[in-house]
Amino acid sequence: MIELFNLSKRFGNLNAVHSLSFTVRKGEIFGLIGENGAGKTTTLRMLATMLSPTSGTAVLSGYDIVKEPEKVRGKVGILFGGESGLYDRLTVAENIRYFGELNDISIDEINERTKMLADTFGMNDFLHKRAGKLSKGMRQKAAFARAIIHNPDILLLDEPTTGLDVSAIREVQNFILEQKRQGKTVLFSSHTMSEIEKLCDRIAIIHKGKLVAIGTIDELRQQNQNLSLEELFVRLVGEEHEA
Amino acid sequence: MKLKHIWIVFNKELKDIVRDKKTLFSSILAPIIIIPILMTIVGGSTQKMTQEMYEDITVALTKNSDTESARNFLNSLAELDENIIVADPVDDPWQAINDKEVKLVIELENGFEEKLKNSEPINLTLIYDNSLARSGGAVGTFQATIDRLNTALAVEKLNALGINPDILSLVNVERQNIARTKDGNQFLMMILPMMIALLVAVGGIPAATDLVAGEKERMTLEPLLTTRSSRMSILIGKYLTINLFSFASVISTLAGMVLAYVINPAALSLGQGEIGGFSVEPLAFVLSLLITLLMGMTFSGIQLAISTYARSFKEGQTYLSLLIFAVMIPAYSTMMIMPNDIQPHMFVLPIMNTISAFKLILGGVVNYAELVMATISSIVYVILALLLAAWMFSKEKFMFRS
Ligand SMILES: Nc1ncnc2c1ncn2[C@@H]1O[C@H](COP(=O)(O)OP(=O)(O)OP(=O)(O)O)[C@@H](O)[C@H]1O
Ligand SMILES: [Mg+2]
Repeated sequence: MIELFNLSKRFGNLNAVHSLSFTVRKGEIFGLIGENGAGKTTTLRMLATMLSPTSGTAVLSGYDIVKEPEKVRGKVGILFGGESGLYDRLTVAENIRYFGELNDISIDEINERTKMLADTFGMNDFLHKRAGKLSKGMRQKAAFARAIIHNPDILLLDEPTTGLDVSAIREVQNFILEQKRQGKTVLFSSHTMSEIEKLCDRIAIIHKGKLVAIGTIDELRQQNQNLSLEELFVRLVGEEHEA
Repeated sequence: MKLKHIWIVFNKELKDIVRDKKTLFSSILAPIIIIPILMTIVGGSTQKMTQEMYEDITVALTKNSDTESARNFLNSLAELDENIIVADPVDDPWQAINDKEVKLVIELENGFEEKLKNSEPINLTLIYDNSLARSGGAVGTFQATIDRLNTALAVEKLNALGINPDILSLVNVERQNIARTKDGNQFLMMILPMMIALLVAVGGIPAATDLVAGEKERMTLEPLLTTRSSRMSILIGKYLTINLFSFASVISTLAGMVLAYVINPAALSLGQGEIGGFSVEPLAFVLSLLITLLMGMTFSGIQLAISTYARSFKEGQTYLSLLIFAVMIPAYSTMMIMPNDIQPHMFVLPIMNTISAFKLILGGVVNYAELVMATISSIVYVILALLLAAWMFSKEKFMFRS
């Protein structure tokens, strides 16, 4: 479970995230949508304890991001951006192991989980090849494995499908659905409405750092004359513009 | 901060960089290969140049002054010094010297032989090209020969007059060089401390660029910061890796210099004379090594801070290369200073303290108070640099600069 309590972040005079409060329930896929610069990445970075909030806080799996950031990190796996962010000169197994070790997982458990993840994602052929030598698709799988080697309760994904081709996008979407099946909580940001509709149990629309709407897609559509998600997004964000 | 995490980060970074052939080559392998080659070539050519200045001094008359007696005069000079070789008269002195036909050209006034016979002074014009080492450098040898000729003529005259020619040189100078070091050491004292300081300052740059700016660019920094490891553990692990690389590059450079010395002993002083006869007290040597290590640690900290500030690998490279200039200024400004001339304040200023300590050791004049001053100031700089890096690493505005 992820609970935000008036979570705020200022950069100088800019309120990048302004008093966000909402709850992502355990086992739910939750979509965060908003225009460029709406504050999605900043919110996810605060939840991952990379940035500290200017005010407010959030509680992830029972741990407060301000008071117990290290414990929060142990419960969270992240995948930021379409790029997979692996160390090119390390093999896939070494990449996974590095993140496992830094998350205080025992070597035995890392080996066991790596084997399991290699089977799940079909990585056995390239597990011991250097990440830099792999295709984009293979790297994507390695990045998934890296993100969940420590079996986190919560996954924070920032635009995980941006810049990927159709089949890689499907891989990511299947990965997200599989994580839900395993009872994980997934919070992800996206600009692709079809993807949001396909995956999300609930969504939050943010604009200029503020929460504009929250609920299931059906709920939001009912409140807005059954507009399509795209139309209602433009309308909500547009209304805020004029206000 | 956990030791275990520091160790994991250090191990991984080491493995990562060792697999990077470019970094490995430029910071470790290149000095071992390039330095001996460079020093042997430069040393060899300096030796050759010195040889040219003192040996095979070809002298010719100008066509104008080419007479029987002038030729005889020139031959008599050649008899006084075996290095002087008489060449055929030349038309155009500049052309002849630049075409390497001769090194010096002389012109004698008309009727000089009569004047000499009557013990009257004569004019000899020495034509040389000071822009060419082989010509300008030969002037000294030629002048010394003329001096000897003058003395010989005077002695002859005095003898004829029945006066003891000893009056020509009543004061005899007997030279006693009591320098504890050989000539080449002098040169080493100027060059070696400077080189070591430069190397210590730049050795960690390839690693430092990769370790934070590189991670930002590859987008691996975010997942790394989201592990349970504290930021400080990550920082220290990276800091140690950079340190290791800066030390390794110093050691491989020294190894390269030893190799150059083995190939050709004169190479190490670039042909400036023999090297050897160092007698260094072990404690003093250990202290100066410690001071060097401390300078490496200071620079690793600074490099880490700069790499943290940079947004991308390229930006990191640009900023870090500026660091070289920061070292060159104190390094060059102290290059000519000899151990005895080092001012006390130079033992506490950054970079200068390392250079000064090394000069002291190479000069064989050990002053422990000064070495301790250099050590303590170095420790202070290490701490300051590390605090700077840690502060920057903990600041969002540097880590996530956009
Ligand atoms: N480190 C920073 N320093 C200063 N301003 C920042 C920083 N990071 C983000 N911002 C600003 O905060 C605002 C929110 O940025 P954020 O990256 O969270 O938006 P986003 O919703 O992720 O946008 P996008 O869809 O383009 O990724 C933007 O105006 C951005 O310029
Ligand atoms: Mg973003």
